[in-house]
Amino acid sequence: MLDILQAVSDGVLFGATYALIGIGFTLVFGVMHKLNLSYAAASVGSAYAGLLVLEVMAGAPAWLVFLCAFAAGGALGYAVYLTCFHFIPLRSPLATLMATVGMLLLIDEVIVHATNGMPQAYPAIFDDVMLRAGAFTLRGDLLLVFGVAVLCMIALMVLLYRTRLGLATRAVSQQSVAAQLCGIRVGQVNAMTFVITGLLGGIAGALIGASVGALSPLLTTPLTVKGLIVTVIGGLGSIPGAIVAGLLVGGFENVLQHFRGVTERDLYVMLLLFAFLVFRPDGLFATKGGRD
Amino acid sequence: MKKLALAVALAFAAGGALAQEKTIKIAGFGAKSGVVRSFGVNSEAAMLAAAEVINKQGGVKLADGSKAKIAVEFLDDRCNAEEGISVIRRIAGTDALVAIGPTCSNVAEPLFGILQKKVDNKGDSGLQFPVFTDVAIKVGLAKISEWAFRNVPNEMTMYNSVFYWLHQKYPDLKTVYGGVEEDFAHSRATWHLVMKDRAKASGFAVAGESKWLLADTNFATQVREMKKANADIVAISAHPFTTCGVLKEMQRQGVKPKLLVGLTSSSSLETLQGCAKQAQGMIIPSSFAPVNKEAKFAAEQTAKKKGAADLHSMAAWENMFILKQVMESEKIAGTRASVQADRRKIRDGLAKLNTTQGLLGVSKRDAEGEADKPYLFVQAKGNDWVVLHNPL
Repeated sequence: MLDILQAVSDGVLFGATYALIGIGFTLVFGVMHKLNLSYAAASVGSAYAGLLVLEVMAGAPAWLVFLCAFAAGGALGYAVYLTCFHFIPLRSPLATLMATVGMLLLIDEVIVHATNGMPQAYPAIFDDVMLRAGAFTLRGDLLLVFGVAVLCMIALMVLLYRTRLGLATRAVSQQSVAAQLCGIRVGQVNAMTFVITGLLGGIAGALIGASVGALSPLLTTPLTVKGLIVTVIGGLGSIPGAIVAGLLVGGFENVLQHFRGVTERDLYVMLLLFAFLVFRPDGLFATKGGRD
Repeated sequence: MKKLALAVALAFAAGGALAQEKTIKIAGFGAKSGVVRSFGVNSEAAMLAAAEVINKQGGVKLADGSKAKIAVEFLDDRCNAEEGISVIRRIAGTDALVAIGPTCSNVAEPLFGILQKKVDNKGDSGLQFPVFTDVAIKVGLAKISEWAFRNVPNEMTMYNSVFYWLHQKYPDLKTVYGGVEEDFAHSRATWHLVMKDRAKASGFAVAGESKWLLADTNFATQVREMKKANADIVAISAHPFTTCGVLKEMQRQGVKPKLLVGLTSSSSLETLQGCAKQAQGMIIPSSFAPVNKEAKFAAEQTAKKKGAADLHSMAAWENMFILKQVMESEKIAGTRASVQADRRKIRDGLAKLNTTQGLLGVSKRDAEGEADKPYLFVQAKGNDWVVLHNPL
């Protein structure tokens, strides 16, 4: 019994990394009704950019690396907006989708060429902290990731519901033409959304790097896939949904791995996704209404 | 005026001589993109460095007594089987006489399958092109085709020797636990077909095994199983990224085996760059270490071409010198008209070899086109792999 409980808790905590990526996917979808498939790659790319601090200043503290990743995330988010959305007609959903696929591959290959594909050690935080209750343990660094995911959610909710930018963002999300008629600059709001999700991606990339202890281009595809699954299961556009679904998927896959082995694990995660698509296509927390 | 005329005449003569300089093309191919890019980069660097050394020494002697320089062209197969097959077909369509590659066993296996299986079999329309592999290491692949040859370490022999030595040196150690990256051809085959079997043959009991995938980042469940087994030795058959992930998780969960054994491909800088602290003491058999003058020279020359010397890239270096020797002994013509005949001569020459000279000594070659290379055991110490034991 303890084994199952441990498997669930390990998975749920690790699911916090999926939740962080899921939030980014869902925020862009909520505002623009577009999928940015390069989001996880950009997050990992931002974390790599953070490592540049160590190139310039050997022995720099971890917080400086994370800060650089955070800033790089914002810049990369804006670059993704410009290259994949700003100059591409938004009426063509396939065009923007394919542009983001291209960006995903581009970021991936840039990382590979810059590092020769070799894993890079990433500064860890609370790596050696383990909360113990007898044989039951919880990883300190993953608890931190979980806490940050919750904080990000709260910050985003405050931003969306307590600020003028949030009001404009919601207006654009619900009826962009009407928003434009009210004087809201739709392009600017969309760009800000990408910068904000980029900043969030920088945090996500840095925390994932810190919890894994290393960065590798191997991270981008699984994070993209898991991030998308989390977004769909949580409900497209729902930020709390992304968090709950991230934890759910993490726990689910770890329990299935415990019972069925690693080679079958992803099979069941995909089945879970199909089950949601068939029986609850709007996900756990579907947003009511939206752009008409 | 006379001086000017003489200079012009000399310039023309030199130009003519240059135009007549013969070249022989050796193609390289392997992963130069994707997560195993470093393997391709290192192989290419080693091939270029070796070609430069050979060319400085005059080049390859041809059948007519003239000398030809070696030109190297390296293509990217992205560690993808379809891409690898397409690349080898493209190479065979050029005047390249032989190819060195590929990086990945999942490319080598199907790629060898499109080569002609038996030489001179008129009913077999497979590609008649010699491939001399430097990196793809999964056991027993060269027997797929008589045009396929490999100069990769024999893991069966190496791990047999490792576990035998460990059993002799540490008689108190009784059990081995395996960790395997299940979705990568090399690591999977090495645990299931080599390490596990060789550990048992040396008198160890296998206490269990944990599996994970190449891109996994969460190893909590696997390491918990490992902890429960409480084995004396943990053998990890995985590439550096997940090897490091597992070692870090072992540290977190306080799993401290008495000894760690790793996969051949992990005796690289990547592992130490990712987790030098956690990998301390890990023992890996390797067919390369800069332990003598030749090996140090090869490593230095490869470094000048921005590559790292390891057991894989140094096999590419060795292959270049073996091919030079074969091309000279088989008296290739090195002309445009003789390309296919020269390819056949190289194949036959490689098939005839019983031994080859490598950087660590003499390698034996078997009838299936495989090598039995000299090896030693290296151990992670500080930020380096140091020689722990030379069993030969």
